[in-house]
Amino acid sequence: MALLSNAAVLLGKEVRTEFRSRELLSTTIVFVLIVVVVFSFTFDPTTNESRRFGPGLLWMAFLFAASLMLQPCFLREQVNDTLGALRLAVSDPFAIFLAKICANTLFLLLTELLMLPVFAALFNVSFGAQLPGILLTFLLGSLGISVVGTALAVISAQARMRELLLPLLLLPLLTPILVVSTEVTIGLMQPEPYMEWKGIGLMAGFDVVFLTVLWLFGEYLLEE
Amino acid sequence: MKNLNSIFAAYMIGWGVFFLFFVSIVKRTNDLRAEVERLKKTAFKEK
Amino acid sequence: MMKRVLFGVVAIGLVACAAYASFYIAPEERTMGAIQKIFYFHASTAWAGETTFFVCFLANLLYIWKRQPQFDWLGVTCAEVGVACITVVLITGPIWAKPVWGIWWTWDARLTSTFVLWILYICYLLLRTLVDEPDRRALLSALFGVFAFIDVPIVFGAIRWWRTQHPAPVIMGGPGSGLEPTMKAVFFFNVAVMHVLAAFLIMERYSLEKTKHDVELLQHQAEAR
Repeated sequence: MALLSNAAVLLGKEVRTEFRSRELLSTTIVFVLIVVVVFSFTFDPTTNESRRFGPGLLWMAFLFAASLMLQPCFLREQVNDTLGALRLAVSDPFAIFLAKICANTLFLLLTELLMLPVFAALFNVSFGAQLPGILLTFLLGSLGISVVGTALAVISAQARMRELLLPLLLLPLLTPILVVSTEVTIGLMQPEPYMEWKGIGLMAGFDVVFLTVLWLFGEYLLEE
Repeated sequence: MKNLNSIFAAYMIGWGVFFLFFVSIVKRTNDLRAEVERLKKTAFKEK
Repeated sequence: MMKRVLFGVVAIGLVACAAYASFYIAPEERTMGAIQKIFYFHASTAWAGETTFFVCFLANLLYIWKRQPQFDWLGVTCAEVGVACITVVLITGPIWAKPVWGIWWTWDARLTSTFVLWILYICYLLLRTLVDEPDRRALLSALFGVFAFIDVPIVFGAIRWWRTQHPAPVIMGGPGSGLEPTMKAVFFFNVAVMHVLAAFLIMERYSLEKTKHDVELLQHQAEAR
């Protein structure tokens, strides 16, 4: 399928570009670390409190980091009008979105996975056996953040005050992801962990709905 | 009537919000009309 | 012009009738007493606000499809009127809740999703101030408007699920649920009246948007000379 092969090529470009400099990943990881540390000063973390508040702080840190990380997504395509070139190169503009969504999801996921052991150590929570469940939660959450964030990055790239605008637009829209992913993660970090399958379903539903909306309206976002 | 203050506050503030919104529309409309007159005068002068 | 003034007078008259009906026709509620009367204003404004946002959503879709500026004007008009309605809802709700339940606010599904709805459409209006070029502004805000409207039921569902994990006081049952027939009639009368008021405000705001467009055209002509 032309869409998938185009998206794969563009995804390769995104990943290669990032891993050449690694500046986005490194700054995002450090930012998440700083947010987690700073948040931890706002309450006295005993293990019980950590299990209740910790996942929420973790996901808020991910959201804040994502809203900064997604800024350059389309801003860098304005230099030398590479977005115009991309539009000409692909038959379906959704391929551009698909590539960027996959890349952003990957970068977010990497950040989250690197932060997980640090979070576990700082807040004295264990999750060993729940790793598959946590991975699934992180994947669906990151996908939701990337889908909506990539779409809004296009919008904010064309407006003034874009550094403030993207978080402003993104955070209210991502309320369902924040609420549900926090709740699922809390469940997985309990002394008797449990998997909230309904929450997983809600996150998957969110991802599917917004991916569909982006598929339907994405070409208008990329219009000149 | 019990809680009369609360009922009064709710209705007054509620209607107040709508009234202020309407006033802001009227003010913006008047500002625009003044701008239209100014632009028409500028165009007339140039002619 | 006369028609607009007449419409305004009728709308205000109807609002006065609705208030009269709420206080003097609807019976007093047994447990809450007179303060329950706020419900007629509060809930009917909420319904009018939601209808207005739905019209905004339709206008956004039509603009994306047809690219006629009138749909953009309708979109921003409905967004502003909707924000005004929901502002009233978010103020009157806590004023009602505090004496009855002792709390100003609770994070249940309906209140939270209403709050998020309000914030989303404020962001919609903010976005419009940050894009200078009119066609771009219309398209980008229409697209964001579509995202925002689709998000709200998902927010409601997510918070409702979250609340099954952490039960909280439910501020009220569904509007019209368990209402005595006279109360129901007064409630639906209030709903109709608030829709008429919203329609009047939409009409006024729309003509402002049209005037803005005419001014922009004149400004371009003046600059061209």
